[in-house]
Amino acid sequence: MAKTKLMAMLTALLVTASGVATAQTSYKIGYLPSTVGQALTQAWRVGIENALKDKKNVTMQSLDAQMKAEIQVTMMDDFINQGYNAIILQPIDAAALTASVKKAESKGIPVITLNTDTMLPHAACVTMDDTGAGYMVAENVGKSLGGKGNVAILQSPPGAQAGVEREKGFRAALAKQYPNIKIVGAQNAQWNKDKGIEIMNSFLQVNKELDAVFAVNDNMAEGAMIAAESAGRLGQIKIWGFNGQKSTLALIEQGKITGTAYTNAYNQGGMAAKYAMDLLTGAKKKGAATEIIKVPPFAATKDTVAQIKAEDRW
Amino acid sequence: MSVSAIRRLILVGLLISIGAALSIASPSFLTLDNLMTLLQEASLTGIVAIGFTLVLITAGIDMSIGAVIAITSMVCVNFISYTHLPAYVFIPIALAGGCLIGWVNGFFITYFKLPEFIVTLATRGILAGLALIAAVKDDQGFVKNVFIQDEVFLSFGETVGPVYIVTIVFFVLAFATQLFLKRTRAGTNVYATGANPTASRLSGINTDRTLIGVYMFSGFCAALASIFLSARMMTAMPDFGIGSEMDVIASVVIGGTPFTGGVGDIWGTVIGTLFLALIKNGILKLGLSPYIQPIVIGGIIVVTVIADVWYKGFAEKRATRIARQKQALAKEGV
Repeated sequence: MAKTKLMAMLTALLVTASGVATAQTSYKIGYLPSTVGQALTQAWRVGIENALKDKKNVTMQSLDAQMKAEIQVTMMDDFINQGYNAIILQPIDAAALTASVKKAESKGIPVITLNTDTMLPHAACVTMDDTGAGYMVAENVGKSLGGKGNVAILQSPPGAQAGVEREKGFRAALAKQYPNIKIVGAQNAQWNKDKGIEIMNSFLQVNKELDAVFAVNDNMAEGAMIAAESAGRLGQIKIWGFNGQKSTLALIEQGKITGTAYTNAYNQGGMAAKYAMDLLTGAKKKGAATEIIKVPPFAATKDTVAQIKAEDRW
Repeated sequence: MSVSAIRRLILVGLLISIGAALSIASPSFLTLDNLMTLLQEASLTGIVAIGFTLVLITAGIDMSIGAVIAITSMVCVNFISYTHLPAYVFIPIALAGGCLIGWVNGFFITYFKLPEFIVTLATRGILAGLALIAAVKDDQGFVKNVFIQDEVFLSFGETVGPVYIVTIVFFVLAFATQLFLKRTRAGTNVYATGANPTASRLSGINTDRTLIGVYMFSGFCAALASIFLSARMMTAMPDFGIGSEMDVIASVVIGGTPFTGGVGDIWGTVIGTLFLALIKNGILKLGLSPYIQPIVIGGIIVVTVIADVWYKGFAEKRATRIARQKQALAKEGV
């Protein structure tokens, strides 16, 4: 009798122990991009999912912040309250999300940011080098124009840090290396293709001589291309985008868009997911400062675009 | 029991049953942290919704509330960045700014007899533009979102015990406004102006003054919410609040204040705000695809409002039927 009792107790203990063990090894990772409806954020998601595919004990949930910082802060709170183990976040704004990131980290939830760093230290920031890539685009534009001409910029909304950094890099390179290139216009096209068409049309009407356009993302570059094509001036205008989404790479192959600053977004998402897993499994320790992991940009033009493999296009 | 009391009871019942369902579906729903965040969320919308309810009772509409939030946050951040004035000096100034915008709305509506929607839509556009102009810029002229470190200002985003200050302010403001509406003469004037402006004017109510006052209050509420929002986010952005009008309108309408004016009260709005915040909070817990979430939220709002309108119609019909029967009975008796 005593023996069976002991056995039962042992079994019960074992069950609880294994229960605790599984509880410790099952993780919830939250993915919170600025919006879900863009090629870039979808590619990140695929990258994250692929990195977590063979890990049965990890679940991933993504939410849509609809491009509003207020909504993103609410969703961060929700991830925290639900006890997520790690959060992969693309902050809509560095300042606005700082408090949320701080709150998460103070509850022991590591936050890995994508592309936009926040003001206070957190686990890591896996970022495209926005300023550097903007600089790179400007060098390419400057070279192809022979150091002279008129350039317009399709901007991101005011305060959108990633876009602003790209534009700053672009302007810095022109000011430094190609002072004879004039920036004849810069307007906010709200990251959108249709808005890109509208703004590009106004640029085309005002500037009879326009030699190049830099759109701080590919959607707007595609919009600019449509506008230039319908005005019959596509041949005279070099159009550069940023991000390197699949559709834009195809347009570069067709010669309609000149180039884009390509980043392997699958890889970037995967790197963030892997970093989160390393922290959770203890393979990596969190440092005092944010670890900045830079994903190098690649200037994709008609000559170089073939180097990007089909499986790396997103 | 009156029709409005019954439909309020139904809404409260729905609120509780959805809450119960969510606590079963997700273990993290019924935690103190989550409930407090939910209330904080509700309060930020709710403070604006209180002012908006008064506007709706006068059969008006205020589309400028979102832009008032934006411009107020810009006013505060400018004070923080460029002056050394303490928060208890510039916050009243910012709140007064909200009132001033409301006064301008009210003035154009009453003096020039312009439609409320057009006037407030115009101010919305103007203020949204002004917010961008007023935004703090970096040395190259790009909008910079300042990371606020003013302790007094940030204390507005803190909690008392587990409860966020904004939640306390929301309930106090709701209580005070409800008292004002039901117990003061000015409150009665608000209802009268909405129900029948001509009759009110003829019976000696200064409807213009009532309207201007209501829009000033709406501006004040939006400005107040803006300060809590900026303190919570530790920053101010020129697009703060723009687009949040729809949440406010949905909360008020779910709460039972119709667009037609003359009826409605603050308790309804409080319930409506809690209802919307509950749905939004709950939906995040269910692990639905982000594409589906807005559809579900929109769907629930539509269903609630349809059920509401249907019940109101049903109740009115029943009331007339009973009245007719009584009449018929009375005739037979004679």
